[in-house]
Amino acid sequence: MPKKKDVLLKIRDLKIQGYSDESWIDIIKGVDLTLHRGEVMGLIGESGAGKSTIGAACMGYARDGTRISNGSIEFDGMELTTASESERRALRGSRIAYVAQSAAASFNPAHKIIDQHTEAPLQYRLKKRLEAQEDAMDLYERLRLPNPKEIGFRYPHQVSGGQLQRAMTAMAMSCRPDLIIFDEPTTALDVTTQIEVLAAIRDIVDQFNTAAIYITHDLAVVAQMADTIKVLLKGEEVEEASTKEMLDNPKEEYTKSLWAVRSFESPQRHRPKDGVPLISIRNVDASYTGGDKVLDDVSFDIYEGMTVAVVGESGSGKSTTARVITGLLPPSKGEVLFKGEPFPPSYKDRTKDQLRQCQMIYQMADTALNPKVRISEIIGRPAAFYSGLKGVALKNRVDELLDLIELEPSQYYNRYPPELSGGQKQRIGIARALAAEPTFIVCDEVTSALDQLVAEGILRLLDRLQNELGLAYMFITHDLATVRSIADEVVVMQHGKVVEQGPKDEMFTPPHHPYTDLLLSSVPEMDPNWLTTLLEERGVDNVGDAAAARIDPKDPKITGVNA
Amino acid sequence: MSAFVIIYYTLLLGASCLAAYFNKRSAFLLLFSLTLVSFILGIIGGVSALRIVAILAGLLGLSAMVSYAFREFLIAIASHNLAKELRTAPLTAAFGMFVIFTVAIAGIFAPLIAPYGEAQVITSAFAPADANMLLGADQLGRDVFSRLVFGARNTVALALAGTVMAFLLGALAGLLAATTGGWFDQALARTSDVIMSIPSLIFALLMLSIFGGDLANDTTSFWLLTGFAGVVGLLMVTAIFENSIVGWAVGLAVLVGVSTAFSGFMLIIFNPSEIILILVVAVIYSPRVFRLTRAVAGNVVVMDYIEAAKLRGEKTWYLIRREILPNSTAPLVAEFGLEFCFVFLLIAGLSFLGLGIQPPTADWGSMVRENATLISFGDITPLIPAAAIALLTVAVNFVVDWMLYRSSGLKV
Amino acid sequence: MGDILGLVAKRLGMGLIILLVISIIIFFMVELLPGDIAQAVLGQGATPENLAALRKEMGLDQPAVLRYLHWLSGAVTLDFGNSIVTGASVAQTIGERFANTLFLAAYAAAIAVPISIVLGVLVALLRNSIFDRVANVATLTSISSPEFFLGYILILYLAVKTGMFPAIASLSNDMSFGDLLYRTFLPALTLVLVVTAHMMRMTRAAIINLLASPYIEMARLKGTPPWKVIVKHALPNAWAPIINVVALNLAYLITGVVLVEVVFVYPGIGQALVDAVSKRDFPVVQACCLIFAATFILLNLAADVGSILTNPRLRHPK
Repeated sequence: MPKKKDVLLKIRDLKIQGYSDESWIDIIKGVDLTLHRGEVMGLIGESGAGKSTIGAACMGYARDGTRISNGSIEFDGMELTTASESERRALRGSRIAYVAQSAAASFNPAHKIIDQHTEAPLQYRLKKRLEAQEDAMDLYERLRLPNPKEIGFRYPHQVSGGQLQRAMTAMAMSCRPDLIIFDEPTTALDVTTQIEVLAAIRDIVDQFNTAAIYITHDLAVVAQMADTIKVLLKGEEVEEASTKEMLDNPKEEYTKSLWAVRSFESPQRHRPKDGVPLISIRNVDASYTGGDKVLDDVSFDIYEGMTVAVVGESGSGKSTTARVITGLLPPSKGEVLFKGEPFPPSYKDRTKDQLRQCQMIYQMADTALNPKVRISEIIGRPAAFYSGLKGVALKNRVDELLDLIELEPSQYYNRYPPELSGGQKQRIGIARALAAEPTFIVCDEVTSALDQLVAEGILRLLDRLQNELGLAYMFITHDLATVRSIADEVVVMQHGKVVEQGPKDEMFTPPHHPYTDLLLSSVPEMDPNWLTTLLEERGVDNVGDAAAARIDPKDPKITGVNA
Repeated sequence: MSAFVIIYYTLLLGASCLAAYFNKRSAFLLLFSLTLVSFILGIIGGVSALRIVAILAGLLGLSAMVSYAFREFLIAIASHNLAKELRTAPLTAAFGMFVIFTVAIAGIFAPLIAPYGEAQVITSAFAPADANMLLGADQLGRDVFSRLVFGARNTVALALAGTVMAFLLGALAGLLAATTGGWFDQALARTSDVIMSIPSLIFALLMLSIFGGDLANDTTSFWLLTGFAGVVGLLMVTAIFENSIVGWAVGLAVLVGVSTAFSGFMLIIFNPSEIILILVVAVIYSPRVFRLTRAVAGNVVVMDYIEAAKLRGEKTWYLIRREILPNSTAPLVAEFGLEFCFVFLLIAGLSFLGLGIQPPTADWGSMVRENATLISFGDITPLIPAAAIALLTVAVNFVVDWMLYRSSGLKV
Repeated sequence: MGDILGLVAKRLGMGLIILLVISIIIFFMVELLPGDIAQAVLGQGATPENLAALRKEMGLDQPAVLRYLHWLSGAVTLDFGNSIVTGASVAQTIGERFANTLFLAAYAAAIAVPISIVLGVLVALLRNSIFDRVANVATLTSISSPEFFLGYILILYLAVKTGMFPAIASLSNDMSFGDLLYRTFLPALTLVLVVTAHMMRMTRAAIINLLASPYIEMARLKGTPPWKVIVKHALPNAWAPIINVVALNLAYLITGVVLVEVVFVYPGIGQALVDAVSKRDFPVVQACCLIFAATFILLNLAADVGSILTNPRLRHPK
């Protein structure tokens, strides 16, 4: 990549404050940043690190409820902090553009995509309307959108998420800016869709030699996109280095710990010979009231003390399967067996003991714990409800459970959920499930809302509890790294069907069902050349939806599995 | 150019300049725009208009001071946590609390405060104010001030009773509907839709035209009240006992006793025509409360912790009491204030039309009606009870506004 | 487009059903009276002959369902029977009054709607400024004041003390339109004060809600000037909430009109309703209630249909 050496953006000692609880608090505590023309910098950090706030500040923009309190932001020789609002506004859209996380929410539903695209060029009188539209179509084509001549004349809600995200990138390019801020542009997308967007973004940035700031929490993604990486923690810089150096040789402890996260792997267990499965899902069909079939002939078994990971993209039916097992959604066909005995389809008809056997841990610890109830009651209630514990016995049981999840009982006993951190809340959620003394726990994306380090702690805890208490887990996840670290068996789902299942070690060695292949190969890896290699292997037109559509239903590997 | 005008503008301009000098941008904007408005008002309305502005500003300043002092007073006597909350109250909310406090005192201690009896004729009709009668006499020669104090008691008590009953029915039904869902929820929602599509005042007039005459007697009002209490109780029994037959039997027995006792108790406090009024108000406003409670509880019911509790096998009553209610109290309390305002205005309006609280009971709405003719002589007597109504509703609204802002779930 | 038509038809159907249910409620509530209407009208002291005569006249010897159907078919053709008190045709008595009420409501709406929407948008743009706070307190005060309080204040200052406007809104047939506007100015102004406050607050809330959307931030980050952000990006999406606000407040006008008519002795349908209620003239009460409820439902219906028609997601289906 040819690099001009002149500096485009220079930020010095930037401090930004946020307004909360009637006072201003520093959220960015003095960050420096230097970006050259044509350079792509990855800003990476966990939630609350201040990445997005810095991204907006690069445009001289402070979101509602924040203010730039100190420091200088110099864009191409112009000081943004002292510039007038109209001077700053004149840069936005024309020389600095922005790509937001959710394209679906960031396109105005009332206007056609192409009208929103041409708004900035017309505003700055760079092009006539027709020229601008021609240019938009050209950009759509370069970004490999289907029907580039026609797609712009649709309304945002008529276009899919991955395509909208590319259309938004095209919109950012409309004035050929010097700098584009990408604010988590692929976070809301499925892995297979993510690739096509990543490839498109990288291409277009390359073609026009645009500088970019790429904000994300995903290390593997940033490794594909950025020339240099800056790591942030709680509003402060941890370190900055070129991508290669950062990956091979991180200096700071915090960075090293981020890199080390994916090292945990529990040893694989195997099914007992001719035992009865603990939970057995038999030919289940299910649909929500009045809707299409969400599950189509789903069958798999979960054995005692083992972890089955259910993998798939959004809409594949993994969460619906969990709802069928717990009885929230009675199946329209098929049944769920518990130790060989059929479970009543609706939870309302199950006995207390049947309910006790099967517990759940949720993705969002915030909504899974009642904010107005003390920890002691959240954990104590199931113990009192199922085992009839009272008084001292109940308190001892709660203490024991808090010990089990590695929280100091005396410290947490009387507190409320909002006072805890995300990881601690998730631990309370685990304790609540354990309090019922179950044999089986459904874990619904339990780590995906957590930062990586915290998630790792939760996975280790779950693994330890499994060994100590002999629990069986059904692990719903879209993250293959999680599967690798904790699963014993894997079930891959697509469009409500099980496309492949088997022990983990087999699932991670080819040959596979083509969908599993696609899914596995679409997960970004730390190797900076991963995306390049993948695109070379597959061809640029064979990613994402296109690739999924290309799967041949007569492929022997498919018929082999379903036969 | 009178001295008043000169002092008026000097003060305003001086204050504006001071504000500008000390960089108080908003204060400056306010003061200076007031100056500009004064120029126009002065030209159109002359000195008297400026005098009114000055008096209003003085009143505003006075109430601001009272509010500030009252807030500090509350903070001083409140517990630590409450004091922390109170510190965030804007002056308007403090003013609201002060007015509510005053009205409450006036209502509770009415016989002690009022110099004369509620229906006591002491002088000739429309006698002007003197040392004995702070606000003069009404059309029958009764002391207006005494009637105002008694009116606080009667009108507010009636509105409170109506609001509480509307809330009991509406909130209980709303919580139950949100928790159980299904056909029960749908049926209640459709019913409330129908009732809400008749404008409240019109519906009240319709019901009063039917229950207003001979039907406003002890027996009818007793049975209507018992019926209402029975419906509330039935919802309660449904929520608590669900499918247990023994529970239902016990619950129904208790229910009959409690609702009869309740009706008897209400009949001691209120007379039959007032009870009809309370019931009318309760029937009209319970659908509104139902709709809001259902929405508030609906936001809670979708939370995962409710799902967890359901999967644990918890009963409806536990879900409502322990999981949903603690998370809905803030918006519900605010809504109670808001509904109280509506009910209060409706009752005042009905009384003003001569269809609400019946004479000789003192009541703010009917006081306006009784003295209305005085307006054409430029006398402000009828405005005083009307202002009292406005003041109380404004006060409650100010407090509610602050609470809504604090809970911020329902920003209006 | 088929989708939209379906939705609109569905709403219209719902409205009709609700109206039907309400007509049933209005008609059969009177049946709750002990004895019957004749008894209630003539009181305890009525002779059996008088009672029988009145019953015959009102058709009370027929079953209730038949009478309801008869009443309903009459109501559809605007024939509501005769008043019990005066014996005159109800339609004639309240017909002209209803027109007067509609005129007053329209007058108030014509002033209030543009003012409050402009002010509402303005206050939303200046949110959290001192003007916003002053407007908040002022509108809250206005909403909390009963209509008769505002009405009497206006009478006191604009009619009695300064004599600028007439205190009593008497109408006659030979008045010019200008004279009409002048004579009904005070009642209209009272309504305007109440409704403007409501509408301003709701418009403000709707706009602020909208300004928090990501696509508004996107427009700002594209360098769109502030006025264009409002006009091009916020307004097209604000129509639905604004239409709702307007319809809701027009519906509110219908109720508010009753008290204002009494204060200003305005010959409208609200006065007629209040008189009929105190005289227990049930045919008039039923007719008035049905008219009010129908107007109310119609306005809500219009709001629903309006928000469907302006929703881009529905206008341009996938």
